[in-house]
Order: sequence, then C-alpha cells, then structure tokens
Amino acid sequence: MLVTLEQAIAMIKEGKPLHIAADETLLDQLPRGNWIGGTTPYFISEEGGIMTKDKLLITEMDFGVEARIAVYGKYNVFQIVEECFDNGLTLLIMPFSSAVAAKYSKEAPDVEELLMHPIIGWISGYDLDLPGEAKVYDGTTGEAYTDKAVVMYIRLPEGKSAMVNMINIFTDDKTDPVIRFPENDLSAGKCTINGQEVNLAEFLVKKGIDPQLPLVADHNGSYINTSIKAVENGVVDFFAPVFKNIEYRFAVPVKDYEEEFLKSVHAAEDRKPVFSCNCIRNFQSADLNGKKILPYVGPVTFGEVAYQLVNQTLVYCEIFG
Amino acid sequence: MNENAREKVMKILRRELKYTSTNLAFNMLISNLQRKLQADPGNMDACMTEMEGFLKKYPIVAKVDLANIAAL
Repeated sequence: MLVTLEQAIAMIKEGKPLHIAADETLLDQLPRGNWIGGTTPYFISEEGGIMTKDKLLITEMDFGVEARIAVYGKYNVFQIVEECFDNGLTLLIMPFSSAVAAKYSKEAPDVEELLMHPIIGWISGYDLDLPGEAKVYDGTTGEAYTDKAVVMYIRLPEGKSAMVNMINIFTDDKTDPVIRFPENDLSAGKCTINGQEVNLAEFLVKKGIDPQLPLVADHNGSYINTSIKAVENGVVDFFAPVFKNIEYRFAVPVKDYEEEFLKSVHAAEDRKPVFSCNCIRNFQSADLNGKKILPYVGPVTFGEVAYQLVNQTLVYCEIFG
Repeated sequence: MNENAREKVMKILRRELKYTSTNLAFNMLISNLQRKLQADPGNMDACMTEMEGFLKKYPIVAKVDLANIAAL
C-alpha cells in the first residue's frame, strides 16, 4: 500500500516484517525496525501506476512465521542459497549498476540448488530524469548501501510453499535466427547467428531491429528476457547478462504494448500475490501511469529477480498449501 | 514418482516429449536438465535425482505436473 512517511513510521513501530520502496529522501527518515527497502520513485499502487517522491510503498511480509534480515556483498551473495529457510521465501533487493547485482546476474543460473529456494526481488533505481544513485536499506541498522544486497528471509508455516512466477508479454518465433554468445556477459560484440559469427550491433542496425525489443530465451515455455541498455561503438550493452549456453532470439514485435500487457495481467488477475514488482520498461511502454493492474501492487524496478535476474517482466510470488 | 511418470519425465529431459508447466521454477529446471543431458547423455541418473529432489520439495508441483506428465 502507498503510505505517508508518518504512516510508514507507525507501521514499522508495529514490528511486522515490511518491504518498503520509496525515494531515498523518505527511506532515510525511517526508524530502525524489521524492514528492508530499496529506492525507486515509481510504483504500481492499488490506485494505479504513479511516480512520487512523497509516499512510500509498503508490502507487509507477514505471511510467514519468522523473518530474518541479512546484508551481502558481491563475494558472499550466493550464501543466500545456504542461509535461507528450508521452507521459505527469500526477498532480495540489489542496487542498479552495483557489483553485487552484476555478480548475481551473471552467476545465479549456475548456482546449484538455486531453484530449490524461491527467490524473488528487484533492482532498486532512481528518478530517470535526474542523476541518481540506487540504494538498498537494512532497516534493522538503518544503513543504506549502494554496493550491497539486502535480503529478507521469510519462514513459511509447515505445509505452505512459495511459488515465484512472472508475467511476460514477449515470446519468440522459432523461425527467427538463433543467437548464441561466446560467454556470460552484460555486453556483447561478437555472437553467432545461425552459426555464423556476426557483430550483434551491426546485425541490429542492418535488420532494423527495435532495440526496445528484448532478446528472449525459451526455458521450456517460460520466456526469460534480456533487455538492451545501449548500442554503442559496435557493442550492445544489456540490463541482464546473456549466457553462453543459451539460445536467444529477438522477441516477436508487440503491436500494442499497453494492450498486450494489460491483456496478460487480465489473464492472471485471479492470482493472489503476496509480493510483486514490475519493470520500468513495462511502466513506460504500457503507459501504466494512473492505470490499475490489480492484484499486482509493488515497486517499479530497474530489473526483477525470479531466481535469476530477468528484464521487462512483472514478477510475483504466491503462497500455496 | 511412479514408473509411468518417471519414464515420461526422462523422455521430456531427452526432448522426446514436450511438456510445459505453469510453474516457472519447474520449467527452468527442465530446461537446465535438458541442457545438462544434451552435454552429457550419461547424466540421466544425476538429472533424475535433481528432479526428484525438486518434486519432493514442492509437493504441489509434483501433484499437478506429474499427473499431467503421466497423462501425456
């Protein structure tokens, strides 16, 4: 729910485990307590999408029986797989452009047992119209970090399970060329397209491909997007890494982004998410400002985590059992 | 996992049978195991151990998806 600073302070004092997203000027004023936070001025509230620096979006993470908070750097971020509750949910926030986010994004898919532990989260950001620095907050100490990940581990009652899922409007066309990359990286020059070595930036220009379209990888019917950040000097930079052992294609162009996105949300409106977050590209391209997409309420992000880092998706978690 | 479902899961991992779940983690796991098996077809036992560990951890997936897989 979207609340004022005074309301947020009162909620923290109640002691429930909380997830808080807001502009840093508000997060800096919060008292210590059982909360984690990340910076963004963009939200999907119950009343619709909104950009505001005057309110905080709070998600009560009180569906568990216990919650613990921890902070990790790039050298130990994968301890989350060992330190999480055996039956729980891990909520992870990392700052945009941080080394810990880069490390997590590149290596998470190779971490053993990653899929055995439901992990959801997001990449914190800032006002796109101003120079900014993304931060995350450990409410127990009140510390803000630009280079660390904050985690809330939630232990679920016996017999309950957390399931992480996503809404993604993109798919591929299996007749389109297959793109492969030589290594796991956040940028690419050379790649192979249908087995032929090609410069990806040149390919984009030559084929007139819209760089707003992500690369998509088909994971047994679940599509994972990798969005393009920039194309400069023959190099394509991505918001999430490409992986050397994965086949990619450019997403099938979407005729009407807003219509497709709202249709996908409508198809999943019977879900009961306990947490959700949505990509800034969806917010912008589907023009979500002022639009309700219930039951999905949460921060608008610079990247989403559904086990691994994903792009241009709405990620959510439900509790079953 | 009964023998019928087990055989069909192995076929899915060998890409001889197609099955897509509504569960993201299950699809990601199938995809990972398919790649492992493609890299080394002798990996089937290890892949099935990983699959069984996942299904034990998520009885909801096991109940719904294994029933669907068995019916393929």
